[in-house]
Amino acid sequence: MDHIELSLEQSLDHCIKCNICTAACPVAAVTDRFPGPKYVGPQAQRFRHERQPVPDASVDYCSGCRVCNEVCPTGVRIAELNARARARIVAERGLPFRNWLIARSELVGRLSCGPHAPLVNAGLRFGPARWLAERALGIHRAAPLPAASAYSFRAWFKRRRRRGSGPQANGKRRVVYFHGCATNYYEPRVGQAAVAVLERNGFEVILAPQNCCGLPLISNGDFAAARKAHAANVRKLLPYVRQGIPVVGASTSCTLTLKEEAPEILGMHDAEVRAVAEGTYDIFEFLRNLAERGELDTAFKPIERALPYHPPCQYRAHRLGLPPLDVLSLVPGLTLVLSRASCCGIAGTYGLKREKYQIAMDVGAPLFAFVRGFGADLALCDSETCRWQITHATGVASKHPIEILAEAYGEAR
Amino acid sequence: MPYDTIVIGAGLAGLMAALGRAGQGERVLVLAKGHGATHWASGQIDVLAGDANPLAAVERLRVERPEHPYTLVGMPALEAGIAHLRALCADAAYPLAGNLHQRLLLPTALGALRPTALAPATMVAGESRQLADGRPTLIAGFPELRDFFPPLAAANLRAQGFPADGCYLALPPSGRRQSFDPVVLARLFETAEFRAEVGRQLAEEVRRGGYARVGLPAVLGLRHATEVVRDLQAHAGALIFEIPTLPPSVPGMRLYHVLEEALLRLGGRIQLGAFVRRGEGRDIVLEAVYSEAAAREQRHVARRWVLATGGLAGGGLRATPDGELRETALGLPVRAPNRRADWFARRFLDPAGHPVFSAGIAVDEALRPLDAAGRVVYANVAVAGSAIAGFDPIREGCLEGVAIATGYAAGAT
Ligand SMILES: Cc1cc2nc3c(=O)[nH]c(=O)nc-3n(C[C@H](O)[C@H](O)[C@H](O)COP(=O)(O)OP(=O)(O)OC[C@H]3O[C@@H](n4cnc5c(N)ncnc54)[C@H](O)[C@@H]3O)c2cc1C
Ligand code: SF4
Ligand code: SF4
Ligand code: SF4
Repeated sequence: MDHIELSLEQSLDHCIKCNICTAACPVAAVTDRFPGPKYVGPQAQRFRHERQPVPDASVDYCSGCRVCNEVCPTGVRIAELNARARARIVAERGLPFRNWLIARSELVGRLSCGPHAPLVNAGLRFGPARWLAERALGIHRAAPLPAASAYSFRAWFKRRRRRGSGPQANGKRRVVYFHGCATNYYEPRVGQAAVAVLERNGFEVILAPQNCCGLPLISNGDFAAARKAHAANVRKLLPYVRQGIPVVGASTSCTLTLKEEAPEILGMHDAEVRAVAEGTYDIFEFLRNLAERGELDTAFKPIERALPYHPPCQYRAHRLGLPPLDVLSLVPGLTLVLSRASCCGIAGTYGLKREKYQIAMDVGAPLFAFVRGFGADLALCDSETCRWQITHATGVASKHPIEILAEAYGEAR
Repeated sequence: MPYDTIVIGAGLAGLMAALGRAGQGERVLVLAKGHGATHWASGQIDVLAGDANPLAAVERLRVERPEHPYTLVGMPALEAGIAHLRALCADAAYPLAGNLHQRLLLPTALGALRPTALAPATMVAGESRQLADGRPTLIAGFPELRDFFPPLAAANLRAQGFPADGCYLALPPSGRRQSFDPVVLARLFETAEFRAEVGRQLAEEVRRGGYARVGLPAVLGLRHATEVVRDLQAHAGALIFEIPTLPPSVPGMRLYHVLEEALLRLGGRIQLGAFVRRGEGRDIVLEAVYSEAAAREQRHVARRWVLATGGLAGGGLRATPDGELRETALGLPVRAPNRRADWFARRFLDPAGHPVFSAGIAVDEALRPLDAAGRVVYANVAVAGSAIAGFDPIREGCLEGVAIATGYAAGAT
């Protein structure tokens, strides 16, 4: 039994059966397919034995949003228990091709992104193709698949470096930017905004070699592939971290995976993994730290707007409070109104699946009502899949908060 | 980001304190590991059991028990705190009934009569004086809701001389087929069709049995309970009252929502999932605390602090394997029975209670924590609620009263 398994075993003994987690779980609230965190978590865990067949299939309906962890009064790590139980099911019964495919966001992204992207995107909008994908693959025909970008973030960054238009190294303050698959292949604009903000604050941005953080592999239960992905990232990032250069990312799920999800759920605990975890920051966490030290450039242009903001579960799982709200409150005129909904439902790849699409839409209903009712033409959210889900469900455009911050610096195109 | 006041613990005591400070225009943050006793307590306000006049009993206690929290904060804090809570509940259209001079006796799910000082208006039609008016009462429930047995409750009421019958209702059709915990039912009751169908069955029962009032499990709506009860009464043609259920407690959650909404309106913040592990101070000034977060701790800075972590049951105190009690957030000195053998009474249900439940943090009249020698540990910390030593909230029946009085006092200074 490894360290995490031991602590999970112990944490389940802290369960006092109060059912607070079940009362808060957004999935159990909308469907009978999922009996709730207490039942599939601490309760079922007692029946999951090393050499016994897995007792439950319903745990697959856990979206991994971690709302249960957030509210549990005794600190039971329910979401981790569920992730591990799902991996046991996968180990025993194998990974369906659909899940294998959507867990490989890097592969899919690489194949879709580039000059041929318009073609790919047209294909994805083509009804009969989606119908086929639903029948053959089990990807719901209405699910919000992102549009591929005609150029990748890395290509943009390298082109710019060659042209010498980025600021030159001043050799003092450097950060490694972790872009993740979504920024690289679908939304380079988020990475461009992040780079603009970091450079504005005097940092030289280094584009270290990196690969997918492995989160979709973890949430689909493919732990073997996830371990490989994380080990590769650790190898690539370690040299920078060892020099004291922080790794900063704007994809809050990537940074959470580097910081905690991969080490904890995959049971990777050596010194290298820990060093990378401790050296990684979400971009607003990083900026808030700067602000607290009085080092943040606060020469913002006023933005007279009120915008709805959804702190995604993946952000709340960092357990840092609301750094985007703290930093953006420094922009004159800008008001962010906090969504109180627990989850948008999509949970990465969860809401793409044919059998889970409607659950995801029902889970997100309170958030969608909030965004629609707000009446703005823009919503803010740190997580890419959440943004796509919000826009899919409400028709309201969505941006990463870093894009607004870049705008406040006058850096937006 | 520095705050004026940081409150640790999101139970009744912590939220009352946070509301007080935020009401004076301070920047307030509430840090809590998870939800507190609000999510499992009855939603009634216990001030002191054992006397028909709770306030007179508190007066007497103040003479006999100089170290009881009521004695330390004084009568005005209790009365003003209760008045504040009443006003907040009234503003939220969820009024509390009763007063501090005459206790209420309200039926439990087993049909016993339990004393309390105030109760939500949705419960008062079941008060003992009403039950005794000679007209029969119906207790109704659903077979799908576990641990609520109308025939049993009715039989126990009859044994105490109150005419009563029990019946099961048929659960109206809904999207749900399996899980019917109190929260799922509360959400269903918020839909008009569901209410109308339950109301129709109730009207039939009332016509048949000539009932003056109907007791239902306390699941009549999560956010709009007053409206749900009013509507059901109109359908049924009899008074409706709620009876508390096993956790999660819907009326407790309503109370939490009332306080949470009020605090957010005043600009306060609540950060759940934040386990405070240690504090950092100079001399007798607490300067920062550290909460658990992904990959590394988060540091929080404030001028003043409130510790409302709920003692042994709330997780604020924990026993170490070698039999010492530790305060989990700041490591404050705990006043407890000396030896482990002294923690317990011989009998499980000993009327004198178990001494360990009076363990907690010794405080002075300003609620500042004291060490074994009676010296102030931190001058800028106030302790509120069950974390305070020298009383037993469960046995004395004063959980909410002490939380409100001390929370109010900690928020006022
Ligand atoms: C299952 C159960 C049933 C109970 N039933 C009853 C009952 O019927 N009647 C009764 O009178 N009492 C009951 N109790 C006891 C009751 O829970 C306590 O008396 C109560 O906790 C006191 O309220 P409070 O506001 O002081 O704290 P709580 O409501 O307990 O709130 C404590 C808060 O502090 C947080 N916290 C604790 N430690 C930390 C930390 N280190 N860092 C950050 N946050 C922290 C918690 O997450 C929580 O938000 C019950 C307890 C349990 C466990
Ligand atoms: S909230 Fe925590 S303690 Fe309560 S039932 Fe769930 S896991 Fe158990
Ligand atoms: S992680 Fe989310 S979906 Fe899964 S059990 Fe917890 S609250 Fe429910
Ligand atoms: S998709 Fe968004 S809101 Fe939904 S589970 Fe993920 S982070 Fe949470």
